[in-house]
Amino acid sequence: MSQQTQLLDSSQNRKTMLILEDFGRNLGLTFYALFALFPLVWMVICSLKADAEMYNTVFVFTPTLDNYKAVLLGTDYFKAFFQNLVVSGGAVLLTVVAGVPAAYALARYDFKKKEDVAFQILSFKFAPEIMVILPVFLIFQKIGLYDTYFGLIWVYQLITMPLLIWVVRGYFEDISVEVEQAAQLDGYRWFDVFFKTLVPLIKPGLVASGLLAFIFAWNSFTFPLVLSGFNIQTITITSLRYIASDTVHYGQVAVAALIAVLPEITARLFIQKHLVRGLSFGAVKG
Amino acid sequence: MPKLNVSHPDINYNEVPKNIRMRPYYIIAPGLLILIGILIPFVTAIFLSLTNYSFRLPHWKLIGLKNWIDTLTDPSFYHALWVTIKYAVFSTGTQMILGTVIALLLRKDTRYSRILKVLFTFPLMVAPAIAVLIWQLMTSNSIGVLEKLLNVFGVFGFPWASSHSTAMFTAVLIDTWVNTPFILLLVLAGLQSLPKSPFEAAEVDGASRWFIFKTLTLPMLKPFLYIALLFRLMASLQEFGIIYALTKGGPGDTLMNISLTGYMTAFQYQRLGSALPYLLVLWTIVNISAKFLVKRQRKLAKQAQGY
Amino acid sequence: MSQTKRFKQGVSIFLVLTLAIGMFSGCGGSAQTPPSSAAPGSSSPAPQSKVADVQQQAQSSDDFDWKQYEGATVKVSFVQHTVADAIVSKLPEFTEKTGIQVEYSITPEASYFDKLSTSLSSRSGDPDLFMSGAYQLWDYSTAGFVEDLGNFLGDASKITSDYDFEDIVPSAVAALRWNGIPGYPVGEGAQLALPLAFEIYSLAYNTRAFAENNLEVPKTYEDLLKVCDALQGWNGPGSYAIALRGARDWGTIHPGYMSTYANFGAVDFAQQDDKLVSMVNSPEAIAMTEFWVELIKRGGSSSWSNYTWYEAGADLGAGKAAMMFDADNNGIHQNWDGASQEAGNIAWTVMPVAKEGDTPNSNYWTWAMAMNSASKNKDAAWMFLMYFTSKEFAHYASVDMNSLDPARTSVWDSDAFKSKMAKQPGYIETYNATIDSTTILFTPQPYFFETTTEWAATLQDIVAGQYGSVKEGMNALKAKIDKAVSDIDLSAYY
Repeated sequence: MSQQTQLLDSSQNRKTMLILEDFGRNLGLTFYALFALFPLVWMVICSLKADAEMYNTVFVFTPTLDNYKAVLLGTDYFKAFFQNLVVSGGAVLLTVVAGVPAAYALARYDFKKKEDVAFQILSFKFAPEIMVILPVFLIFQKIGLYDTYFGLIWVYQLITMPLLIWVVRGYFEDISVEVEQAAQLDGYRWFDVFFKTLVPLIKPGLVASGLLAFIFAWNSFTFPLVLSGFNIQTITITSLRYIASDTVHYGQVAVAALIAVLPEITARLFIQKHLVRGLSFGAVKG
Repeated sequence: MPKLNVSHPDINYNEVPKNIRMRPYYIIAPGLLILIGILIPFVTAIFLSLTNYSFRLPHWKLIGLKNWIDTLTDPSFYHALWVTIKYAVFSTGTQMILGTVIALLLRKDTRYSRILKVLFTFPLMVAPAIAVLIWQLMTSNSIGVLEKLLNVFGVFGFPWASSHSTAMFTAVLIDTWVNTPFILLLVLAGLQSLPKSPFEAAEVDGASRWFIFKTLTLPMLKPFLYIALLFRLMASLQEFGIIYALTKGGPGDTLMNISLTGYMTAFQYQRLGSALPYLLVLWTIVNISAKFLVKRQRKLAKQAQGY
Repeated sequence: MSQTKRFKQGVSIFLVLTLAIGMFSGCGGSAQTPPSSAAPGSSSPAPQSKVADVQQQAQSSDDFDWKQYEGATVKVSFVQHTVADAIVSKLPEFTEKTGIQVEYSITPEASYFDKLSTSLSSRSGDPDLFMSGAYQLWDYSTAGFVEDLGNFLGDASKITSDYDFEDIVPSAVAALRWNGIPGYPVGEGAQLALPLAFEIYSLAYNTRAFAENNLEVPKTYEDLLKVCDALQGWNGPGSYAIALRGARDWGTIHPGYMSTYANFGAVDFAQQDDKLVSMVNSPEAIAMTEFWVELIKRGGSSSWSNYTWYEAGADLGAGKAAMMFDADNNGIHQNWDGASQEAGNIAWTVMPVAKEGDTPNSNYWTWAMAMNSASKNKDAAWMFLMYFTSKEFAHYASVDMNSLDPARTSVWDSDAFKSKMAKQPGYIETYNATIDSTTILFTPQPYFFETTTEWAATLQDIVAGQYGSVKEGMNALKAKIDKAVSDIDLSAYY
């Protein structure tokens, strides 16, 4: 009898514990959600406020689309948007084309100083941009890469390529050599093996690190600030321009910033199923 | 057809035909070439640190180690170093803990957590300079929405970025807002890759939650945590964008870390030669700590494969 | 084994070669370019009266061959500013009239000069023209980056007879002349740029705040502090008396602070032997800074140290600040119909002084257009400059595009401008009362950014109580400024 009550008690306790735990977890998540999402919600709200209402209203105001009109119709915002797309997209593409083979070599072959080369590649991500930018600027001026798409795409490799090589290398290390050998025995040439067998296997890592590379490139500020401006405008610098010429236009900045994150969010939703998985193998074993 | 030599590390190089022996170099060449092209500036930077190069001087000349001696005897260098380290430890530490905790909370698969997993990555996509602007608007004392919120709790005029004592906190807060999702993503990836059986076994044995976390989850997550730590620590050691947009290093010299001091000296005061020792020291610190972390991480990853 | 060795050798040779090419073509280039026309000691052609003579010999705008540089391309660097908006909107007309193509970049103010310094230092000739203020031109002209516009103003074949140079506000023109000698005041030497718009400093105030509290608009420092006490919290929580700049950059020093500094009789530098010596710890300077710190503490925003011009302006417009001691045109943009909460309530008055009747000395800021001395299209660039500093354009920029303050007297005198400004009470009167005592109050020297940034940082520290006294802070500042300007050797100029 007493044993039974005890059992009942403990299962009762367990239930309360579980409910409490659920509650605690959801509470914690909700708190973080407020912290992470409120600034974005606030940005949306600001984008709908007229300048005159920006400071004196919180949630109750007369929404207006004037800021959207001013940014989208009144300025060359879209030019910057598409140029940014070309530069960032081009940078990611070059990173993939040159980085995947490099990652493969670093994973598959034993050669002298391999670990040093691998580390050196990674360390580019950690180099102070401010230190390299001036010499890069001087050299670009000399060889005609200043304010060109290729110049920016090239220099963006510093921020896009290391992470991708690092993640994808982990994937290659994870694929057993037998897979390749089997394909080779079937008479495929090395080139075919690479594209038909290996690339599908590394796809999650490739798209996940590709997305992060795209985000890094898309939001880059210092490089395009110094290395472009007349022919090529990028989105972060252009967005900041809306702050002030006569007065401060937070509403217009909010519009510019909101539209600027759309491609990233779209890309992120597209690769939804790869994102977490993609980082799970590569990142560790790399 | 060439044989892959990875499974035969003791193979004799000279017996392999030349074209195959050189293959790794061919394959890696495009990537390396692109990055080596960018390596030139590094060497240039070292060279220029030995000159009095300045935007405003028509001629420059070699001046030996003068810039280095000036830098290393300047108290503001050590102040900058201290700010750099303090900022890196605070911001990386906060983000690591927060990112890990949130990832653990998201572990249970519910509809709520699935939606949040997507939404939580959004701040990572906002450019840091824009993120600062949003937070400046929210934290302004006279017009900010957070001031109104704090007023409800009886706090008036919280100084945020404008006071010596809270400027670092504010910068770290914004950094945390933008970059915690990066850690969150990596830890979620780590959690997903954990094998199920050891956990089931532990649960059957009636091990406590804390015990399971301490002896199973955490060690197996370590390689992921190291990667997250590596990327965030290296970035926050050289944080520039957030601090510059927020206070330009102020109030006073509160937030003048090495990156900012170097940038101001080079680009605003136009004394590139004297700025470069700062940046080269920073580069060295970052490189050494990165190398240490990478080594640890590779070792842990190999151990983790043993599970 | 030998293979890998050779590979390594190859890589290292490649590295060294590219490095060498990078070094000597990339950076050594500066060794070949001698400092250009506006360098110290260059002749000073074309004071204003001479330009008038030259204009008489010149052709009228109708006869002038505007198409002589057809097909050329001019690159222009703009900062984000209303005058840039005005110019951009007129570019098609300019291109149609001259056949000159224009490429331009617009950069937000916070990063503008960093980008510009880098571009100019490359000596590549890009951009041909750039917006700048006078202070920055001291840096750039010392490096030889700035073309002396006297070369064009003094040439009858390059100017139109109706350009009317004398119409450009004389003090603004003078503020942009300098002979390149550190410590030597502006007004002589090379014409480094031509003004597009400028600002002087005055007190903007919210009439509602003063009426509701039965307060008199302050005329003296004493009045100002008293009014500050009365106006704290005047419009609910978070509202305060006076908006001032306080961010850690040169912008904090040059408006109200520098004007008041001069009104206290303080100077920034003195010449001792062959050196410039900072005077920021003189008794006048300390007294002034003590007053300023008092003003911030009794009347300023609690986030003062984050404030640039636009935060200050926004607070005035939002009814958070009752006054603003800043550029006269800053508050204007808050006061157009519907521009802000308090639009229509803002008025202007002359800055407070020690006692009524004292001259209000105001510092000067000009947004001007300068020419890169390395430009390869100087004549075409001059066409651009002449076109966009013309009377017609100045009128359009100010009356239709809100670019303020106009740099041409004819605009100030025009009925269109006057009626436009009728809704800005006290603006024109304040301008008239201040402009004659407006000049650049800084001592020209090529380390302007460094000295004023340190100045702002020290001011932040003093206000936050990091120093035992204002004197202690200013002593520390003097040491920093002296160090920054220590390599100026004046004996090289005489």
